[in-house]
Amino acid sequence: MTRQDFLIKWGVYALALLPVWFCEVYILNRIPVLGVIPMLLPLAAVCVAVLEGATAGAGFGLFVGMLCDAVYFNADGAMTVVVCLIGVGAGALAQYVLRQNLLGCLLCSLAALAFIDAGRIAARLLTGQAGLPAMLSVAGREILWSMVFVFPVYALFLWVFRRVPKKTVL
Amino acid sequence: MKDFFRNNGVLILIAAILLALVTAVVSALLGGGANPLANLVNIVTTPVRSGISAVAGWAEEKYNDTFELEQMKEQLEQALQRVAELEAKERQYEAALQENERLRDFAGLRPSSLSFDPESATVTERSTSNWNSTLTISKGSSMGIAVDDVVVDQYWNLVGVVAEVGENWATVRTLVDVGTEMGGQIARTGGAAILEGDFALMGEGKLKLTYLPENSELMSGDLITTSGRGGVYPPGLAAGHVEEVRTDPSGMTRYAVLIPETDLAGLQQVFVIKDFEVVE
Repeated sequence: MTRQDFLIKWGVYALALLPVWFCEVYILNRIPVLGVIPMLLPLAAVCVAVLEGATAGAGFGLFVGMLCDAVYFNADGAMTVVVCLIGVGAGALAQYVLRQNLLGCLLCSLAALAFIDAGRIAARLLTGQAGLPAMLSVAGREILWSMVFVFPVYALFLWVFRRVPKKTVL
Repeated sequence: MKDFFRNNGVLILIAAILLALVTAVVSALLGGGANPLANLVNIVTTPVRSGISAVAGWAEEKYNDTFELEQMKEQLEQALQRVAELEAKERQYEAALQENERLRDFAGLRPSSLSFDPESATVTERSTSNWNSTLTISKGSSMGIAVDDVVVDQYWNLVGVVAEVGENWATVRTLVDVGTEMGGQIARTGGAAILEGDFALMGEGKLKLTYLPENSELMSGDLITTSGRGGVYPPGLAAGHVEEVRTDPSGMTRYAVLIPETDLAGLQQVFVIKDFEVVE
């Protein structure tokens, strides 16, 4: 794959991220379901990692993480590392343990969302900001509602994956 | 996994950690000012946010016109009745004000006053997370807005406090957010307490009033305002009214659950108090 192919491929992935970002930040946050809004950006990182593998997942996770830091209030850089790790983990799991398909993506998404919310709960427990039952309730509903969006997000990135050059050379 | 380490995955992880550290340090140094990346993203997306906000406002208005006409008629009826009650009270207050003025004059005191420097702004975005309650508004540091400025609605009800400022946008931490903590005052008795956000209540759009004065007999419906003690936030802004008084799980202290006066879900226009002066 030439450098131009590489740039086009990741440019298309970045473009595919736009509707996901748009839906999460500008539309779905206005219509909460079960009292919560879904997290879609980390799902995009998981989908690409599952389809492209650990290295590409780490790179795309880094990019998505930076975007999360820019759009989520009070993230202060944490999401850059967290989503990059999610990209690595999801990519490696799908490549070596699970399969690079929808089922693998669902399992990796569940793990990723649980990882993010576990971090949030731990941070708030340390600062004594909130009680565990209330946080578990929010995390549970958030993960449940977000998992519904794995299907459309995976379909979007699978569509892109089938149209871009396959071998990634960094 | 070996492939991953053989390729450049580790370098990407190191880059992520370094970037996160830079972001954290820059955010800490800016002390509430948005980090450059967040500032850039928000500046670029301002037209999109404003457009969506306008469309959502229009759709909401149409929905209200179509489906909530009866409810609005009822609300209008109640509002007219309330206006009549308030007009009657105002006549009593007018006499009390004149008496107060005469007494202050007699005692040689300066007339008390409270003046504000408000900046109007539009709400362009709601919370993007379930873990905080925030609003993004259409004005930022270029209009003189700074961190810790108080935000109110058109009826001077407390909305929140500016938590992060960018060039042409700012993030407002609403009064129900977990991070909220400011002096409150029970309007009926004058007792001081603390307005505090609570994670469990945040989802219901409510907040707590803690450190209640001893022997305070709070009643459901009591109005709570900002106390203005400490001089950081202006006094007299309506924060909420008491829904109920509960006892803390330890059984040692009591707190009141407040329903905000402002309609956080329906806010479209707010005012940022950039500066205020109180003469007591």
